[in-house]
Amino acid sequence: MDTEAARSPHKKRDIFVEGPIDPAFIATSIARHATRTDIGAHEIFLGQVRADRVAGADDHPSGRSVTAIEYTAYRDMALERMTAIREEAFAQWPSMTCLHVHHSLGTIKAGELCFMVFASAPHRAAAREAVAWVVDRIKAELPIFGKEIVEGGGHIWKSNG
Amino acid sequence: MEVLLFGLIAERAGTHRIELSANSTSELKDRLAERIEGLAALSYAIAVDRRIQHGDMPLKGTEEIAVLPPFAGG
Repeated sequence: MDTEAARSPHKKRDIFVEGPIDPAFIATSIARHATRTDIGAHEIFLGQVRADRVAGADDHPSGRSVTAIEYTAYRDMALERMTAIREEAFAQWPSMTCLHVHHSLGTIKAGELCFMVFASAPHRAAAREAVAWVVDRIKAELPIFGKEIVEGGGHIWKSNG
Repeated sequence: MEVLLFGLIAERAGTHRIELSANSTSELKDRLAERIEGLAALSYAIAVDRRIQHGDMPLKGTEEIAVLPPFAGG
């Protein structure tokens, strides 16, 4: 994942990682950009699994919490969509130096990180705008599915709609 | 043709792949409703060769077909 490779918008690369995103990996990703002295701004979005309260039932009037999300994806379509989104992002913010995207698959516990969008640019506006735009596009267009595991058993299928 | 199922739809069908034949996406939806109980009440999209199709579309039988419940990435 060197920064030169991350500049080319057309290359189809895998965004999926098995399990949660390790905060140490994020630190390493930042450190890898130290040699790119044309960069003046990094913007990072991190998605974390939230322990949502699920509406109360008779046996649990106060409601129960989501303990984890189990993510699956239609991999080939997701990577094709991601390649198109990358191309559009680089066209819209041509000054952007690089863009890194990672999304978890498998079981991610509440409090763990499941999603990262990391953009770098000479100036902050491009990095900031690109990250916000890419996050929204991914949530709306990538075929990723989330099964929320509820404490005490049972599950609910998550929907971004 | 082989149809790929994901998420809630796969759970309801009890499998991630089903085999059926259809000449169009609307016929495909009818065949799916016969095979997957309660499908009509669910929200889903049909992807043909990894692109979501909104209207009716003829199928040759060689396409990659997938049934997609609402997305939940992020």
